[in-house]
Amino acid sequence: MNTVIIDGLSYALPLLIIAIGGIYSERSGITNLALEGLLGFGAFTGGLFVALFGSMFGNNSQAVIYLSLLVAMVGGAVFAMLHSLLCIGFSANQVISGVVINIVSLALTGFLTSQINSSLFGKPSDKFMLSVFPRITVPGLSKIPVLGAVFTNFYVFEPIILVLVLVCWYILYRTRYGMHLRACGDNPQAVDTAGIDVNKTRFGAVAFSGALSGLGGMCFAYSISGTFSASVYMGAGYLAIAALIFGNWNTIPTFVACLIFGFARSGAYELVKGLKLSSSFCDLAMTLPYILTLLLLIFFSKNNRAPRALGEIYDKSKR
Amino acid sequence: MKNEQQKKPNFLAAILGSKRWQFITIPLFAILCSLLAISVIILLVGKNPLVAFQSLLEGSGFLPKASYSTYKGMITDFMDTLDALTPMLFAALAVAVAFKAGLFNIGVSGQMLLAGFLATVLVGYSDLPAGLAKPLVLLVGIAAGACAGGLIGILKYRFNINEVVSAIMLNYIFQYIISFFINTRLVDPVSRQSRNVSEAARLTLMNVEAGSFKMRVPICILPALLLAVALQVFLAKTKQGYELKAVGLNPLAARYAGIKVGGNMVFALTLSGALAGLAGVTYYLGYYQSIQPGTLSSLGFDSIAVSLLGNSHPIGIIFSSLLITAISRGSTYMSSTVGVRQEIASLVTGMILLFSACSGYIRWRVNKSGGFKRKRGGKQA
Repeated sequence: MNTVIIDGLSYALPLLIIAIGGIYSERSGITNLALEGLLGFGAFTGGLFVALFGSMFGNNSQAVIYLSLLVAMVGGAVFAMLHSLLCIGFSANQVISGVVINIVSLALTGFLTSQINSSLFGKPSDKFMLSVFPRITVPGLSKIPVLGAVFTNFYVFEPIILVLVLVCWYILYRTRYGMHLRACGDNPQAVDTAGIDVNKTRFGAVAFSGALSGLGGMCFAYSISGTFSASVYMGAGYLAIAALIFGNWNTIPTFVACLIFGFARSGAYELVKGLKLSSSFCDLAMTLPYILTLLLLIFFSKNNRAPRALGEIYDKSKR
Repeated sequence: MKNEQQKKPNFLAAILGSKRWQFITIPLFAILCSLLAISVIILLVGKNPLVAFQSLLEGSGFLPKASYSTYKGMITDFMDTLDALTPMLFAALAVAVAFKAGLFNIGVSGQMLLAGFLATVLVGYSDLPAGLAKPLVLLVGIAAGACAGGLIGILKYRFNINEVVSAIMLNYIFQYIISFFINTRLVDPVSRQSRNVSEAARLTLMNVEAGSFKMRVPICILPALLLAVALQVFLAKTKQGYELKAVGLNPLAARYAGIKVGGNMVFALTLSGALAGLAGVTYYLGYYQSIQPGTLSSLGFDSIAVSLLGNSHPIGIIFSSLLITAISRGSTYMSSTVGVRQEIASLVTGMILLFSACSGYIRWRVNKSGGFKRKRGGKQA
């Protein structure tokens, strides 16, 4: 049971922060299928940072780990600007742009990783090694039955993400900027009339979603393989999109969706292990989160409503 | 803003010609831009981009290589490319049909896998003669793909589930379930893939001797090309095709005009799924002979981009899929001769797509500056 909670949370929270990024972008009216590519590129820049400067910090320094998270955020944000450039600057179809960003990201990071490894470090490798992300256990609280697992052996990035999610929620729903952002997704013309630059707001929202995706991607890189490689692209971005649509573009239901994904996933693994089945049954168990989502969607998505102007290019002259 | 435009020479308009030819000049311009961008990258790596591009074409059978082993020649390389082209063409058409109806079929990969798997299990391991097995494979592929595609349509129509989400979910479900069955029942202990299907069921004829060459012959390439033409006729000339496009352009207006929006969406996704099924059988029981468990083919995702490059126009897609397939086929040869990494091929593809995503902007820019020129010219005269 404890492993289910521990592993589930360590999967659900990075997923959540990526989904929150998606919410920012989509609430501002820009469809963001590019989350997968953004998280990968963010993780790539973070991994590159570790590979380049990791040795400068000494062996046991934790500074490099936290700095790499920051660098990943910057990388994700910069790459997201490509998406906003295409969608806002060049009026490209947002869905297409998103898919293209994913393809370019996978190709570019794959190419750069092996090229940089061979020309800078002189070794043929398609991954950047990362250090182990520290895990901590809160003494006392972890002794609570069942719920104690939440405070046991968690990655340090998990509380960081939770705090960030709170901040993001506050910005989106309790500040003037957040209201403008949400209005851009529902009625950009009204926002423009109020004297606020729609395109600028959207640009910021997409860049921010890139930053959050980059952070999520870097956390995945640390927690899943301890390296940066193409394995970061395992579909978490698409899953985050599913989570945020499932959550009706709101923070709290999205959080629930991410928890479902995380716990169904880790629960399925534990189930297979507990029943002493062969590892191929893992595959069967892995379908659980997805089937669960589909079923839940069938029951709950009747009232789903996307932001009204989602996916539309803002046209000043339109009424 | 205005000043800036006055200063800008409208060379773009001059190069890209009149509106009549833009459907071809603008994609070419996008490809040119991306090749330039890639050239810069290859130069930075310290290699000659022209040699690299030449070897790309050599590897995919469009230019003769310096030397060939026995039974091999330019024609065999070209047939290999055609073999890889077949599933790509089907898959890109699948994306295009859905796109015309305003839907986004991101589940092509999953539908391909399902179709390929069912065809493998039901027909691939049987002893049926080739004349019976091959059409059956196609039928199973079409049926499986259509069911998977239709399911997405029904989920969208009846339950208001975003097609992107349900398609992604189904992708994962297919991937894991099929991986389970392959790993437990059908696995080949050596290759760790599913056991090879019988040659009778395979949609690519292997080692066909013609002259002094032994080559692959993809049976479905001609039907695929014909299907592209048929699809264009369907979309352009039939009532059903018109309705489908109307739903894609403006569902509200379509409903006002008495077109059944939901029904057309389900229809479009079913058709799209059927095409994806064809892509699946030509991929897993043609280009390959087995299924690798636990992965979705990247072809299904690349096809989205190929379809976009061809402007979702069935005839345009023939050319765009040829281009992208040739690049990916030639990349192995390029990396072995020039020493440029193979990953650069997918980078070339990505760049082409990136620039063609901007084609709407280029078109707008060209037309604007062209129009501007006429206006200015009128004033000056």
